[in-house]
Amino acid sequence: MQPPPSPDVTSPAKTPLFHSSTQYKNWRFSTEQLRVTRTALNEAAIAAIRNTFESDSPGSSSDVHFLDAHEELLLVKLYITKISQLCGHFRFPEEVEATGITYLKRFYLKNTVMDWHPKNVMLTALFLATKTTNHPISLESYTSNIPRTRPSDVLDLEFLVAQSLAFEFAVWHAHRALWGLWLDIQELSQAPPHEELERVYDTALQHIRTSRLTDVELIYPPSQIALACLTLAHPEIAASWARSKNAEAALEAIESIKRTITRDGDIPSVDVVREIDRRLKICKNPEKVVGSKAYLAKKAKEDSESELKRMRKADNVRKAVEQGDPFGEELAREANLDDDD
Amino acid sequence: MDAVERANADRQKKWVKDQKVGEGTYAVVYRGRELATGRKIAIKKIKVGQFKDGLDMSAVREVKYLRELHHPNVIELLDVFSSKTNLNLVLEFLDTDLEMIIKDRSLVFLPADIKSWMAMMFRGLEFCHRNFILHRDLKPNNLLIASDGQLKIADFGLARDAADPGYKMTCQVITRWYRPPELLFGCRYYSTAVDIWSVGCIFAELMLRTPYLPGESDMDQLKTIFRALGTPTEEEWPGHTKLPDYVSIGQFPRTPLRDLFTAATADTLNLLSKCIVYEPRKRISAKDALNHPYFFALPYPTHPSKLPKTIAQTTAAASRPLDEVDGNVDLNSGAGPGATAAGTAPPKKLKRKLSGHDTSRNIARKLDFTAA
Repeated sequence: MQPPPSPDVTSPAKTPLFHSSTQYKNWRFSTEQLRVTRTALNEAAIAAIRNTFESDSPGSSSDVHFLDAHEELLLVKLYITKISQLCGHFRFPEEVEATGITYLKRFYLKNTVMDWHPKNVMLTALFLATKTTNHPISLESYTSNIPRTRPSDVLDLEFLVAQSLAFEFAVWHAHRALWGLWLDIQELSQAPPHEELERVYDTALQHIRTSRLTDVELIYPPSQIALACLTLAHPEIAASWARSKNAEAALEAIESIKRTITRDGDIPSVDVVREIDRRLKICKNPEKVVGSKAYLAKKAKEDSESELKRMRKADNVRKAVEQGDPFGEELAREANLDDDD
Repeated sequence: MDAVERANADRQKKWVKDQKVGEGTYAVVYRGRELATGRKIAIKKIKVGQFKDGLDMSAVREVKYLRELHHPNVIELLDVFSSKTNLNLVLEFLDTDLEMIIKDRSLVFLPADIKSWMAMMFRGLEFCHRNFILHRDLKPNNLLIASDGQLKIADFGLARDAADPGYKMTCQVITRWYRPPELLFGCRYYSTAVDIWSVGCIFAELMLRTPYLPGESDMDQLKTIFRALGTPTEEEWPGHTKLPDYVSIGQFPRTPLRDLFTAATADTLNLLSKCIVYEPRKRISAKDALNHPYFFALPYPTHPSKLPKTIAQTTAAASRPLDEVDGNVDLNSGAGPGATAAGTAPPKKLKRKLSGHDTSRNIARKLDFTAA
């Protein structure tokens, strides 16, 4: 049979689906890139906040003990564990939990905790994840089930979070890849009894959950993370899976994933994080603290700028009307509705 | 300014809004261009601030899927940026849609033209399905046509990932006339086959030049389907009487498709019949459809650039205003296809609103290719 004799539509080359995803293209980094990005964000934030302190009252920043990039990361890590707790409480599916965690991590590759405290960012990331994974709940029932949380805590940040994610909401998860492995290993010729396989799968899934506390999802594709977790759970089964797929080379590639999960997968100690959080109260960016002097100053500046823009626009419309533009009136009405372009 | 805000401002500067061309409840549409190249684009500005639950689900869905999907037969999302509390989607500019073309009585469709649109439709849909995405709102006015004739699947406001086996999905999707019987019977577990039914209805509509199964209510929709295709038997569609909203509609005999589609070839009717099989599991897949003999038989599909065009497309398309319409809300209530998902905000569209509603279209006409 000849190929469909249709017009010059060149169908895209058959690459793996994952390779055309935004995750593959925009959200994979080397360990070094992650370190550089976080350090740069941290340093830029310190410089900006120091500047704000100094312009408020000179000399006031000298004894502030700012957070370093590692401390920021520890705090984010603690809030990753809070997402899991909340998901347990709401009985959200695994996909919501995993997506919320990914959003939180990605957010802090574009922002620092000194500007945006992870508590509300965490709540917002999770709320956004319920929507992007098609498990929406109303904001009212979401916030009313979380102590000391108002709808505005979530709504105020939702846009910022979406923007920080570059509106790239689709996430490819390791637990999905593990599900694929689970289906495969049941077909292996010398597979152990089903009960044992189930235990292996459960253990591997626990390793996947641990891996969410680490950077591996920002470095490796989900399939490799899944294989690493299966190897941690049962090296022989993982090896015979790899043999069955002629993919023994994959087993070497996952060594560093196994190491990272084992090394970084621990929950940070509450005492250490509490100390970081205490210091954060002093060194957070005053421009982001609603009601502070610096916040009000920044807001006033923004408001006057947009007012100026509005006036310029209204002025143009008036001129158009005076020149007898037949659409002047309609435009004038539009201009009142529409103030942002 | 934060790094995120700065990146956003840089993106925003790449695009120019030229003219407001339509406004709906949820979105305003502008015609514009890319500053660097002058390329024509459409900007769909979604008002975000007004929703009590924040970012609206249909906006989230549309952005999520269009960010990932890049295919000649799927509308291209070029960029996303925000302005204050508005979400701006920068989309490729498309001249018209398949509904406009179907309704343009001055155009004559050759079988090869229909084959070309069907090929493009199936290619775009196969790509969505290969990515495990159900569109759930296919209909002629969601199939946009570019100036070079390429057909593009648009409006992913109701799209979702195919659910895992055992997970429920809502059956309140797909505009009524294009909605498959399993959804009308309240089936909560379904598959890519729901989109294939819609494609079948569009295929028939391209030949008839009028909607094939225009039901006036959900109940009437089932009756319309059964009148056209015969009441399904237990053998044809095992288990359908056990579906949640099953009701007995009455017995209608099966009339051969040939009676209505008098001039269609055997291959054409074979593919059409495989798209509108009652049993969803037996409905053809988009991939298999692309390998169907219909696409290999003469006449070969028309080159997209040679397909029939509306006058608006051929004459200065640039000056023609583009209108915005709220997806599933039928402006001429009553006979129309009606709204889809309850509680789901209607998706927004970048296309012309049809000024009049031709009520005579409720009656299917016989197709006669010999006249063409």
